[in-house]
Parts: sequence; structure tokens; C-alpha cells
Amino acid sequence: MSGRRVVITGAGIVDGHASAVLSRLLDDTEARRLSRVCQMTVAAGRMALAEAGLAGDTRLALLVGTEFGDMVSTIRFVDDYLQRGIPGLSALLFPHTVMNTMAAATAIAVSAKDLSLTLNVPTVGGELAIARAAAAVRAGRIEACLAGGADEPPRMVVEAYREAGAGADVRGDGAGFVVLESLDRARARGARILGEIVGEAWRALAVRPHGVGRGTRSRAIGQALASAGAAAEHIGVVFTSANGDGPRDEWERALLDRALAPHHPPQRSLSLPTSRHSGLAAGSVAAAASEAGDGLALVHAVARGGNQIAIVVAGPRVRAA
Amino acid sequence: MKPVAVTGLGVVSPFGAGVKPFWEGISGGVSAIRPLTLIDTEGFRCRIGAEVPDSVGGSPRRSRADRLALAAAREALDDAGIGRGDRADTALIVGAVGGGMLEAEAWYWQRARGAAAPLTRVLASCFPSSHVDVVGSGLGLGGPRETVVTACSSGAASLAMAADLIADGVVSIALAGGVDALTRICFMGFNTLKLLDPTPCRPFDRDRRGMSIGEGAAFVVLEDPARARARDARVYAELTGYGMSTDAFHVTSPHPEGEGMVRAMRAALAEARVVPGDVGYANAHGTATPQNDRIEARALREVFGEGGLLVSSTKSMIGHTMAAAGTLEAVATVLALGHELIPPTARLENTDPDIPFDCVPRVAREVAVEHAISNSFGFGGQNVTLVFRRTG
Repeated sequence: MSGRRVVITGAGIVDGHASAVLSRLLDDTEARRLSRVCQMTVAAGRMALAEAGLAGDTRLALLVGTEFGDMVSTIRFVDDYLQRGIPGLSALLFPHTVMNTMAAATAIAVSAKDLSLTLNVPTVGGELAIARAAAAVRAGRIEACLAGGADEPPRMVVEAYREAGAGADVRGDGAGFVVLESLDRARARGARILGEIVGEAWRALAVRPHGVGRGTRSRAIGQALASAGAAAEHIGVVFTSANGDGPRDEWERALLDRALAPHHPPQRSLSLPTSRHSGLAAGSVAAAASEAGDGLALVHAVARGGNQIAIVVAGPRVRAA
Repeated sequence: MKPVAVTGLGVVSPFGAGVKPFWEGISGGVSAIRPLTLIDTEGFRCRIGAEVPDSVGGSPRRSRADRLALAAAREALDDAGIGRGDRADTALIVGAVGGGMLEAEAWYWQRARGAAAPLTRVLASCFPSSHVDVVGSGLGLGGPRETVVTACSSGAASLAMAADLIADGVVSIALAGGVDALTRICFMGFNTLKLLDPTPCRPFDRDRRGMSIGEGAAFVVLEDPARARARDARVYAELTGYGMSTDAFHVTSPHPEGEGMVRAMRAALAEARVVPGDVGYANAHGTATPQNDRIEARALREVFGEGGLLVSSTKSMIGHTMAAAGTLEAVATVLALGHELIPPTARLENTDPDIPFDCVPRVAREVAVEHAISNSFGFGGQNVTLVFRRTG
């Protein structure tokens, strides 16, 4: 793959139940005024930047993937109106009804002043944000970024998905980021390198909206491997987006089997022991870098509706150019 | 940035479906801002906006926003002559905010009264990502699909993201655009922030009192210029650069000095390899709120100096169409370059002395301009500037 080499220099994950972490990472105003999903996003961003030893400025970009945005606050905004009429409407809550509210809060908190993007996609927003960010660093469009995702699904929505037959998946809440920057920049500032993203691709599979595909042919995996100059045999472990949604999980297995055949590297999913949210992608990428050893790891995600993302990750012993 | 060719346009606006009525409306200085009918406005200070007329069509099973998006996307692809065979590798980037919230709100209102249907059908199209699924599967687009949410600059950000995919060689064709239907949440929220003018908005006027909301959708086909030339496609203009920045200052208010806006404009000009003096026209964000217009003018003055630049606001005619605004205004900019006609700022009677530009009051201006910019700014301090170059 031509362009700059993209390394991972920090990671931060906040689980939805980690209230102690939140109180440690937020100031009083943030703890009082920000919604919970914004608090988690800010905290995860701070953790990742702290590990990377990086401060915000006009060269720090931000890419946040999300499925639900701040739907919890949106529902509250509407409930206040339905209960109290026009006087119940909150000017403070209204901005939270726009999905970029987590990015906005985080940009302010960490002073990230380069571009800021929020990408909305069911279940795989974090992977898409990281792939997009890696491509932007590689092309030299941005120098450094926080990339990951955040979600806090309202209970009502999750239950409706379940009733709709979207599987037994458990959507959880949390936020997570990795810090990505060019290898040259990381070396110049003496940063510890956790791993390298050596290839990434994202494509749409031909599937009806919200559906699961029958076909098993995909282009994203092959293109990510090709851009990494790698082959299926080099992949030692795959971090998948398996989430307990049976038909979707089966489809993902079939896509991977065909794309990596005849090789069958072990597959793991961080969603299954906990619950899936857009921030987990950062955990998958960090874990992939940690477990890649001398080989490569693949982070793969596919959503109902057909969004497919493949990210090829190398370990911290950065390979020779 | 490697320039990309604009080879197709599609619009659904408060002037109706199609690029033609849109251009006739905005070049004629016609206001489409009227009393709202889609939502209950009883008791609110502002009760007007710019609605898309009923003639859009599409399946009533789809959300209004999905129908707007599909109609505009189809027109853009047909206009560019992108057939089924080319679509398998065409990227789709949509800027969106409200998704199918208009229908979700109706469901939620019913639920509060204890009479709601099952949630599942509403949920399927409630989020902004619904549009890429509906447009992508409906029109057979098999390249990367992304939904970009940068608040009111989403429609402009989508073009920037699409241009990146072409520049990186990921695809050679991309369909990019923005869409938003009116929603109760948007209407109530901007009323609550006291940002809406009870009368049709008057950008840049010294007596302006706020914005008018609107709805619509617009898409453009962006294409690798070599590919466009090879197939002898009509090229409306070239997107030669973009700049994106974040204020990191306040969730709803722009930086008072317009610092982030300045960075976005300068980055866009640098990418396009033009100097400020090369740019003849700025399609401004121009919301008509007292603060935003003043700060945007300050940023424009910082980058371009006082005088020379023509500045106008499309929102003076179609209101602020939220996530669609950035693309509708990009289309307006492209058409202005091609027609050598700068659309006016409607209802502008007395230009604010703090805005030291010719804001093209009420009547379009015949001027041949080589380079033009389109500014879009959003909640969260999300700034996007696009640079277009005339072709032909």
C-alpha cells in the first residue's frame, strides 16, 4: 500500500458500567452537563490520548462511529415536551439530538481541531471510523486522530430490534478509541508504538436494508489484504463482529471462510463475552495488534444491510519498510 | 487534492423535484418559505418553513426523508448517465441528521397516547443510516457506503468524503449528497434556542432575526476526470479542494472570531491551489441568525479581505435544509459557475454594515466566475468549505 505508514499509539475503552473511570476522567462541569454517552466518549478519548502521550491541537482529527448517537437524550427531549408542553423543551438537550454530539463534546474536551466526522451505521460504526481514519492518515490528509465509536442504546430500541428478529444480539453501551498517526510522526516524538494498520477496505454487500446476505463473496477482505501486501495465510487471528445475532454471525463466518480459504485462523469476538457497541472496535484493533505476534491479524465486521469492513493489523514490532 | 469532475446533479427542494425548478427558483430570487403544514406549530413563536411540495412521490412505506433522497439520487445518476453496469463499484456517501425521525416522532406521539403500532417498522428507517441502505440497494450501488453526520455541514462533508475515495483510487465514481426532512424535534429545538425568525429569514440584513427551517435532498455524481473525459461526459464543474475543521469551542455557538471557519476556508483554497483573489463568489452558510452571519462575514473578511467577493445565501429562499443544505448549496454554486449567474440573497433590503461584501440583494447577477466556494457550518463547530472550478 502506498502512502504513509499508520501506527497505533494509544487506546482507551470505557465500558458502560465503569462509573468509577468516568468520575476520574471528567471534570465537574462535564460530569454535571454532559449526557452519559458523551461522558463515556470524552473519557475514552482522554484515556487513548494519555496512553499516546498526545495533546489536542489543530492537527488532531476525530472520527466517531455510532449506531444510536445520543438517542437517550433525544427521547428525554421529546418526553419533556409530551409531559410539559412547550415550557418543557430544553435548549440544553436539543443539541444532543444530533448524532455528532459525542464528537462535539470530545473535540471540545480534548481540543481536537482538525476535521471531525461522525459515521452512523448499525453495529460496525467503530470499525468504519477506524478504517476511514487509517486511510486519511495514510493519504497524508490528517496527521493524527482519535478513531473509534460510542453508543448507548435505549432499552426500548433494543427490545424492538429483538422483536423484529434481528437476533439475540445484546447491544451494550460504551465508548472506545485508538490513536492513529503516521509512523514518521510517532517516531519523531518518541511515541510507544502498539501496532500498525497495514491495510484497510470497506464495501457494501448486496443485501436488502437491515437484511442478512445469502452470498459469501466479499471484496473488502481481499482488498484489505492486497493493500497490506499480504495473503490469507499470513493472518494468524481474526477479530470478528459476532454478536449473538445468529443469522448475521453465520453469514460473517461464511464470508471469512471463503475469503481466507483454505486457511482457518482462529476467530474471536469481543462482543460475545460482553455486549456489542461501536466503541468495541478500538478494543478489537488494540487486541489484534497485541496478538498479531510476528504475523498479522484481521479485524473484520459486517452489519445487517451489508456494510463490511476489513482492517489488517500488525504487531508492535513494526515491520521493515 | 486531485480535482474530481461533477458529472450529475439531482435535487428535491422546496421548489419541487428536479434541478430545473431549483435553479429557476433560486436564480429568480423566489422565496419558498411558507406556513408549515407537515407538523403542528400551534403555540410556537415561529410557524413557517420551506416544505417540499407533495409531488415527490415514492412508496408511502418509506420515510419522507428516504423518498426525498431516492428521488434526488436517481436524478443525479440519470443525469450523469451512470448505468447499472457502472454502479457496482460506485460509492455512496450521504450526509444526514434527522433520518426517518418525522415518522418515528409520529409513532412516539401515538405511543404516548397509548395507541401505537409496533415499533419495528418505524425503527427500520428511523436513523440517518437508513438512507444509504435504501438508496444503495434501490439503485444498485455496490461501492463503499457511508453516512456522515456533521450536523448542518453534513451535506458538504459527504462531497469531501467522496472526493477522498476517488483521490485514493478506491472508486472512480461516487454519488454524494445530503438529505433531511422536516422533523418536530428540529422545529421545536430551534424554536427553543430562539434562532427562528417568525417571518421569512433575511440573511445579511441589518434587521435579520433568525433562520427559517427547510427540507430537501440533493446529490451530485463525482467522477475521476479522466474517466469522465473518456466517456465524453458533461462536466458541470470540478471540485478542486475542500477544507474541514472543528472549532472545539462550543456545542451550538461558533467561535466568536470564526477561527475554525478561517482554517477550513484556507485549507480548501490551499488544496485547490488557488489564492483568495482567484475566487469570485462565496455561497455562504448564511443562516440569517444575527451571530452566525456576523461571524461568517468576519471569517470571510479575514481570508478574502473586504470588497471583491460576491456573497449570497441560498437559505434566503429555501430556508436551512439542515443536512441537505451543504449539497443543495454546492449544486447552487456549480450551477452559478456554469450559468455565469450568481443567485441573489432574497429579501435583503439593508445590508448589515458589519458585513462588508456585496451580498447580491434580491436580483441575480450576471458574472463569469472561475472559482467559487461553498461554506457550510454545523453544531459542534463543524466547518466545511468546498472549492469549485468552472469548466468548459
